[in-house]
Amino acid sequence: MPDQERTREIAVDRELCMGSGMCIVYAPGTFAHDEATKAIVIDPMGDAIDAVRIAIEACPTGALSLTSEEERG
Amino acid sequence: MSEVDDTQTLDREQLRRLFDLRSSYNAHSGGDYTDDPYPMWAQLRARAAVHEGTVHELTGHAGAASFHGLPFPDRPHFSAFSFASCDTAYRDDEVFASSPDAAGPEADDISVTSSMLSMGGARHRRYRSLVQPSFVPAKAQWWIANWIERTVHLLIDGFVDDGRAELNVDFAAAIPVLTITGSFGVPVEQALVIRESLQRPMEIVEMLEPIVAARREKPRDDLISVLVEAEYTDDDGVTHRLSDAEVYSFAMLLLAAGSGTTWKQMGITITALLQRPDVLAAVREDRQLLRSAIEESLRWMPTDPMFSRWVTRDVDFHGVQLPRGAVLHLCIGAANRDPARWVRPEQFDVRRAPKPTLAFGSGPHICIGMHVARAEMAVGIGALLDRLPNLRLDPDAEPPRFIGMYERGATAIPVLFG
Repeated sequence: MPDQERTREIAVDRELCMGSGMCIVYAPGTFAHDEATKAIVIDPMGDAIDAVRIAIEACPTGALSLTSEEERG
Repeated sequence: MSEVDDTQTLDREQLRRLFDLRSSYNAHSGGDYTDDPYPMWAQLRARAAVHEGTVHELTGHAGAASFHGLPFPDRPHFSAFSFASCDTAYRDDEVFASSPDAAGPEADDISVTSSMLSMGGARHRRYRSLVQPSFVPAKAQWWIANWIERTVHLLIDGFVDDGRAELNVDFAAAIPVLTITGSFGVPVEQALVIRESLQRPMEIVEMLEPIVAARREKPRDDLISVLVEAEYTDDDGVTHRLSDAEVYSFAMLLLAAGSGTTWKQMGITITALLQRPDVLAAVREDRQLLRSAIEESLRWMPTDPMFSRWVTRDVDFHGVQLPRGAVLHLCIGAANRDPARWVRPEQFDVRRAPKPTLAFGSGPHICIGMHVARAEMAVGIGALLDRLPNLRLDPDAEPPRFIGMYERGATAIPVLFG
């Protein structure tokens, strides 16, 4: 819903991240890789929340987490 | 780039022999198994997540089979069939190691078994980080533009005027081999020799030796150059690069893990679509669906439905006592159809919402080539749809069937078009 104010905070554990690219498969609007081939969040609102949850679950080393999410109508 | 300008030099007879799932070359991994294992896997999964025994024994296949984690006759064997148990084992590489001894390569031991597959812990992470940058989603376009696209179109050029083709060996089988060997800078006439030499690694090393030396001298925009230039700096500020032996081992791993798997998964995907003309028509109209079809094929029938882990300490796993030293076989074929995770799991449905499967594994050893494999399948099948109107199974030929125990794939895929 575009008229909603929403915030999301997504944490990346850079020690755990191995650069597999799984997050980019499932939420390409949210995640990318930096120079060190570590996942970075390019836009926390870049994909539907379901896609972000799937990307977090898909991470093979559990490097991603949704630390806060507020959705207000 | 002239490496793949002449696919006509590919010996089709040699291709057919190398890529016949039932040939003696492939029989060792259960290529002589022709039944559908999924009904038995569903029964086993419903009874318990983890069973004692190997997957092929539990499935009722008496033939000898050698694959990852087999045969190891002196060790106890267990098999996991649920998504949760397989996923947990993949992610916990301390309890479930990827090799019997996580020793990794010796300087003078060049083979697939001495590659990254068998390393563990921090050493594996460091080594993999050297090569991971060439295999990320953003790099898929580099693979496509340099090797995949040209290979795919040259292969189609070979049969586009015939009105008929056999898509398994003449198309799907050749793409990954030519992509990987092309990325090494190996001339096309040597590509099949390399595939054939996988059991004799020193022959491959002899072929790669001059290439590696030349790239160390003068790098190009290819994979061997990436491998010889990759470096990382350790905690003490010392810079490390891959030795020649490590480059050869990685090249061997890519050939062994990347060429057979991708062609068979592509054949499975093509067959699943041809068997469902309405779905094929929908994919032809809406190419967004092609990606979904590839993901669904990976879920529904992963070409390698089993990988193994070695148990490093006594553990109670899903109610079963696994002793230290046991081999745990992860039946990802069964895990990918777990009804606890998917609705109507036995159905091939390209309209499912995206959800991770275990087709490429999980955990620290998740398939490094998965984005390249996806790119090869998408470009290959997309090009067939672009260039072969009215593509359909040949009604007068024997229809394709899925065979194999540990390396599953389609028999011949005879098609008509135009």
